[in-house]
Amino acid sequence: MNLQLELALSSNLDEGFDLNDRNEERQEENSRLMKRKRSFDETFEEIKSVQVPQTLSLLDHIDLCDEEDRVVGWPPINSWRKKICHHHQNRRGRNTIMNYVTVENGGRDGGERSGGRSNFTYVKVKMEGVGIARKVDLSRHHSYQTLIETLMAMFDNEKVQGYKLTYQDKEGDWLLAGDMPWETFINSVQRLKLLRNGH
Amino acid sequence: MAYSFPEEVLEYVFAFLSYDKDRNAVSLVCKSWYEIERCCRRRIFIGNCYAVSPQIVIRRFPEVRAVKIKGKPHFADFNLVPEGWGAYVYPWISAMARSYPWLEEIKLKRMVVTDESLELISKSFKNFKILVLSSCEGFTTDGLASIAANCRNLRELDLGESEVEDLSGHWLSHFPDNFTSLVSLNMSCLGSEVSFSALERLVLRCPNLRTLRLNRAVPVEKLPSLLRGAPKLVEFGTGAYSAEIQTDIFSNLVEAFSGCKQLKRLSGFWDAVPAYLPAMYCVCSRITSLNLSYATVQSPDLVELISQCPNLKCLWVLDHIEDAGLKVLSSYCKDLQELRVFPSDPYGAEPNVSLTEEGLVTVSAGCPKLQSVLYFCRQMSNAALITIARNRPNLIRFRLCIIDPQAPDYLTLDPLDTGFGAIVEHCKELRRLSLSGLLTDRVFEYIGTHAKKLEMLSIAFAGDSDLGLHHVLSGCESLRKLEIMDCPFGDKALLANAAKLETMRSLWMSSCSVSYGACKLLAQKMPKLNVEVIDERGHPDLRPETCPVEKLYIYRTVSGPRVDKPDFVWTMDEDAVLRLS
Repeated sequence: MNLQLELALSSNLDEGFDLNDRNEERQEENSRLMKRKRSFDETFEEIKSVQVPQTLSLLDHIDLCDEEDRVVGWPPINSWRKKICHHHQNRRGRNTIMNYVTVENGGRDGGERSGGRSNFTYVKVKMEGVGIARKVDLSRHHSYQTLIETLMAMFDNEKVQGYKLTYQDKEGDWLLAGDMPWETFINSVQRLKLLRNGH
Repeated sequence: MAYSFPEEVLEYVFAFLSYDKDRNAVSLVCKSWYEIERCCRRRIFIGNCYAVSPQIVIRRFPEVRAVKIKGKPHFADFNLVPEGWGAYVYPWISAMARSYPWLEEIKLKRMVVTDESLELISKSFKNFKILVLSSCEGFTTDGLASIAANCRNLRELDLGESEVEDLSGHWLSHFPDNFTSLVSLNMSCLGSEVSFSALERLVLRCPNLRTLRLNRAVPVEKLPSLLRGAPKLVEFGTGAYSAEIQTDIFSNLVEAFSGCKQLKRLSGFWDAVPAYLPAMYCVCSRITSLNLSYATVQSPDLVELISQCPNLKCLWVLDHIEDAGLKVLSSYCKDLQELRVFPSDPYGAEPNVSLTEEGLVTVSAGCPKLQSVLYFCRQMSNAALITIARNRPNLIRFRLCIIDPQAPDYLTLDPLDTGFGAIVEHCKELRRLSLSGLLTDRVFEYIGTHAKKLEMLSIAFAGDSDLGLHHVLSGCESLRKLEIMDCPFGDKALLANAAKLETMRSLWMSSCSVSYGACKLLAQKMPKLNVEVIDERGHPDLRPETCPVEKLYIYRTVSGPRVDKPDFVWTMDEDAVLRLS
């Protein structure tokens, strides 16, 4: 597996996650990632055996209430009904929409809801060129490393190479991810975007 | 020696034929029958306004009294057809204004109607009676004012779910004081308030009023006076059905409803407050149709209402009804023919209500007359679909929307091929089908094999290859309309089944893999089709021939390429001609 997610990093970072062309590091990287992948699969397997298998459906982790991220024409409801839906959402507030149930907690329809989870750890991730946005729970990550691995699992592995990770901070500015310590990043990130290299 | 009935006798006999199919058959018998029939045909239906020109219609049928015309493709309802695409009614109105002075009825669906058109209608047809504008757009309340002011014999004004620019509520006041012929008024789509006193006076002076559907802006406290003024109402649509609970409003409402002994159909109920629902209980026993699809009332209140409607034939409701509510429906409403369950929160990632496939299964088991279904839900299984198919082989329309695209059978994770296969196999009279969920080419094989009466098919995010499309085009003998979005169907199936397209009204394909080159080829092969490429990225010539087009709309026509195309639509054969010259 070639991991060449290029991130423009400042050199004073502790975690070497410049994944460019360094064989030894890459091998190490590979094995680490393989382990991670396995644990992800294992978790999934566990759930399968415990209850009704959950699917990582196209809409898992997706919040489609933001109009720009919706697939045009789907679901097939006309503008009159859309107006009603919007109306209801505004009344309920954003919190209920963001109350996701992750795979580890039993999937979409079964298991316990993660009621204790903070609402602010989910951020939207958009990949340039992909119509549907996804959402990722930042509280499950402790480093850029794991975040990137998750993103690779979410989007097409191969595609994610050749993209760089950017984020929008509290001031609304778009910055390159990886420049600052993880903690600082977590506290200011509002949303993520994977941009093609060369932009 | 030739014996024949005098023309007048034939004409008299033909007058009993109301179905177009019968009239078309009659007109093929011989030249004289063709001539007699065409002169006495009073009603025409044009399923695609671009399939024929007004001139051709008028030339053949000189004595028409009622027209029904449809414009944009169905997927326009879901924003897939860009603004400015077409379907302008003005050329039709202007041609008919000259040739059909006795026109009484105009029914339009998904067309662009301007105030100018409305004014022309109001001034050209002295005996104009019925105007139905279903999902139309392009006009304002000024256009409605012209209709109100000039159509002295108007019986029906139905604005359907049109987009009307609301300039003022005073258009209603343009109905003259001596205007009393109104039988049906549907203004439910209007945004702003109409002049209530004008509305009240109108209702009070029209003794034959049978249908009154108000808009959201009419408050609940104003309903009693309208209901009292129209005791013969058969169909009533409320406005916003909410208010602070006040006993006198409530008791007035109860009294007013109880005066309407012929009330059969109810709709409206925006922002419905449960406390006001019991006001209707006195009419429930007669109710045959209930549209609660704008009412966000919870299941227990819905159940309370529905359980009092044993004669219910048609129910439109939000998924707040939940499986539990559908269970009650299935045990109380044995006459149910049509069920539509709409999503209250289609864009939320999580189900907000407990509505699953179970609800539909229960209704299919308990309601023996169920023939028409539209159901939005978040999970489905092959087992459920098979059960539904076995329970209800009399289904005519089955439209299932599993909100998550490509959602598999949630129990087995298999595609839903066998489930939908069972539907088409058991429901031999199925005319309309909408698919959803994870589907492979297999489901199309089942459809092509079994769905012989299928007329309309809607597909999204389904199939693996051209084989899927080929099964449908080669197998579905009765297919008239096919609409496809986001499927991996390309050139092969389309080109191999080119002739089929001439037997259909139309084919829509968006976000598929049909290349520009194939579109051109198809147009060359089939001169009686308009092959329209809709592409907002600019002229298809700017991209390679193999590049897939954004959207494709193919329809048969006897009028050639249309002349009112916007700059993002290209008709393929026109292009070919331009290049040769």
